[in-house]
Amino acid sequence: MRVASGIAASPGYAVAPVHFIAREAPEVVRRDVAPEDVEAEIARLDAAIARAHEQIGTLIERLARDLGPEESAIMESHLLILEDELIVGRAREIVREEAVNCESALKLAVGDIIGQFRTLEDDYFRERIQDLHDVEDRLLRILTGSEDVPVSGPPVPSVVAAMDLAPSDTAAMGPRNVLAYVIAEGSTTSHVAILARSLGVPAVVGLGPDVARLADGELLAVDGDRGEVILEPDAETVTRFSELARHASKVAAKLSHLKDEPALTPDGHTVKMMANIELPVEVEKALDCGAEGIGLLRTEYIYFQHRTLPDETEQLAVYSEILDRMAGRPVLFRTLDVGGDKVQRYLGARKESNPFLGWRGIRFLLANRQLFKSQLRAIYRAAARGPARLMFPMITGVAELRAAREICRECCEELAREGLEHDPDLEIGIMIETPAAAMVADLLARECDFFSVGTNDLIQYTLAMDRLNSRVSYLYQPLHPSVLRLMRDTIRAAHDAGIWVGICGEMSSETRYAEVLLGLGFDEVSLHAAQLPKVKQVIRWTPVPEAESLVDELCACDTAGDADAHLMRYLEVKKAKRHAREQEAEKRD
Amino acid sequence: MITAKATVSDPVGFHLRAAGRIVKLAKTFASDVIVRFNGRAANAKSIMGLASLAADHGSIVDLEVDGPDESRAADALVHLIEVELAHNEQQEG
Repeated sequence: MRVASGIAASPGYAVAPVHFIAREAPEVVRRDVAPEDVEAEIARLDAAIARAHEQIGTLIERLARDLGPEESAIMESHLLILEDELIVGRAREIVREEAVNCESALKLAVGDIIGQFRTLEDDYFRERIQDLHDVEDRLLRILTGSEDVPVSGPPVPSVVAAMDLAPSDTAAMGPRNVLAYVIAEGSTTSHVAILARSLGVPAVVGLGPDVARLADGELLAVDGDRGEVILEPDAETVTRFSELARHASKVAAKLSHLKDEPALTPDGHTVKMMANIELPVEVEKALDCGAEGIGLLRTEYIYFQHRTLPDETEQLAVYSEILDRMAGRPVLFRTLDVGGDKVQRYLGARKESNPFLGWRGIRFLLANRQLFKSQLRAIYRAAARGPARLMFPMITGVAELRAAREICRECCEELAREGLEHDPDLEIGIMIETPAAAMVADLLARECDFFSVGTNDLIQYTLAMDRLNSRVSYLYQPLHPSVLRLMRDTIRAAHDAGIWVGICGEMSSETRYAEVLLGLGFDEVSLHAAQLPKVKQVIRWTPVPEAESLVDELCACDTAGDADAHLMRYLEVKKAKRHAREQEAEKRD
Repeated sequence: MITAKATVSDPVGFHLRAAGRIVKLAKTFASDVIVRFNGRAANAKSIMGLASLAADHGSIVDLEVDGPDESRAADALVHLIEVELAHNEQQEG
């Protein structure tokens, strides 16, 4: 038994045989071609190009169908690469000039271009080499007759393993029989990671070259919570993992009856239960879990999915699709929140020594007016189709909110002038994720329609702890008195001004904080769809006064440690009581 | 042959999408179009060539257009690079 550690990209457990997706480029051997056969060799290349054209066309259709029309844009540039004279034209020339086979001519032509790209400083351009290789591999596979190998999904329930999976691979493979993804490359924001989370399938990425040594059919245990893969698991591990996987689906089944029930406390108070999503493909899962709306759509992932900046029309298509699929339920669009851990070179952001305190969120948007406006216009136009809400990230004070609202007004005026359908009255709110915003919440509440507390950043900024630095990660303390006070004051300010307030950070996905959120008085809770039924169950068990006195007690604690211990005791007592009640009920039946 | 200058208005410069739109437009003309920037030259009908210029937002590129429809091609390409790319309006197709 051996454990390989990677990055936990999507939670859950699985134990199953490996289905290895080999995407290695076919071996290319240089072969001389007789002068009279040169034209036939070029005809062979042209036939392969035509076939690749067809394949990419089919993939574009499939991507558009499975993941929404916007995902197909990734493949559109591949069509243009396929027509690029610098590559295919140059390859034809090489076949003629050197009288060699077209496979090696193609490799030489691509090698020339890559040489040029290597000299560029911009990471973005260097990354585009990947697109070029994707097209090259496709042509080589067609030429060598190995084209059908990479796209087949697992025939039986399996752990899909690969060095890397391109969007075209996952699209071609589909989600059938995939119990987990195990990938050598990648990060939590790579395509396969996002897809796995949307599908609710565990994934471990960034495992490194170990993955190459996995054999097809070999048994593998996957721990998506810890980002670990167990090779050659012993019988005990196999049993444990099957039980964990079974338990997870049992809990989900048990709570599924709550799907259409409101999060109603025993004393008649309701909390709106919303889902956090990143891509249109996740909408279905959110609705399955009983989400009453989308409480946080992180629009940056829609940008990341595109290798270039999506324009207004493309954004409008994605946003409209999400609103349509949500069928009248509200969708909260958070405008692009780049910077910090999400710096994207193609948006012009540069490396900073202190990115979390740098050019991100609303600061970036206000400085990139054109980009900001294209997103705002798309959201306003999409709002004509359903209840859209608009939210600005990283607000520190009223001036930023006013500046952003001024741009909103400008967009609405333009849209009205252009005669484009839009909803000028959509709700506008802000993230409360800086201590500054929380401290002036009373001023901010007068000028917007809602707040949403982003606990990850609020905790990080309040306790001055970098959440990516493992030495200070112990300071990630949601129950620190400073954090509790800021949340309490924010909610009070919102309610005094008559606006609603939600929460959308990681804290809302952790079941043990559910009573705390209820007691603090959040009107809306937005979380990972998969956690939604569990949190809803807790709210349905807890009367508001009980939650409020719990919060009073936690606020009276001097340290986060005391508050944690107090919460643990409360939860244990509650669990024991419920257990006793359930046994009592069983006896009666 | 005629020459023209154009300021790159696309907020992110000549990345694949912008390059793709330029290629699509250039291909509708019979003329040859060379784009020069920062000591490099690229055929405007080649997506990888244009992308390899790495022209940022606000940089000025030189166009050399040669062929029967050179003046129409130059006007259309300058308009695309200077105006349409800024507005991020999608063309058909």
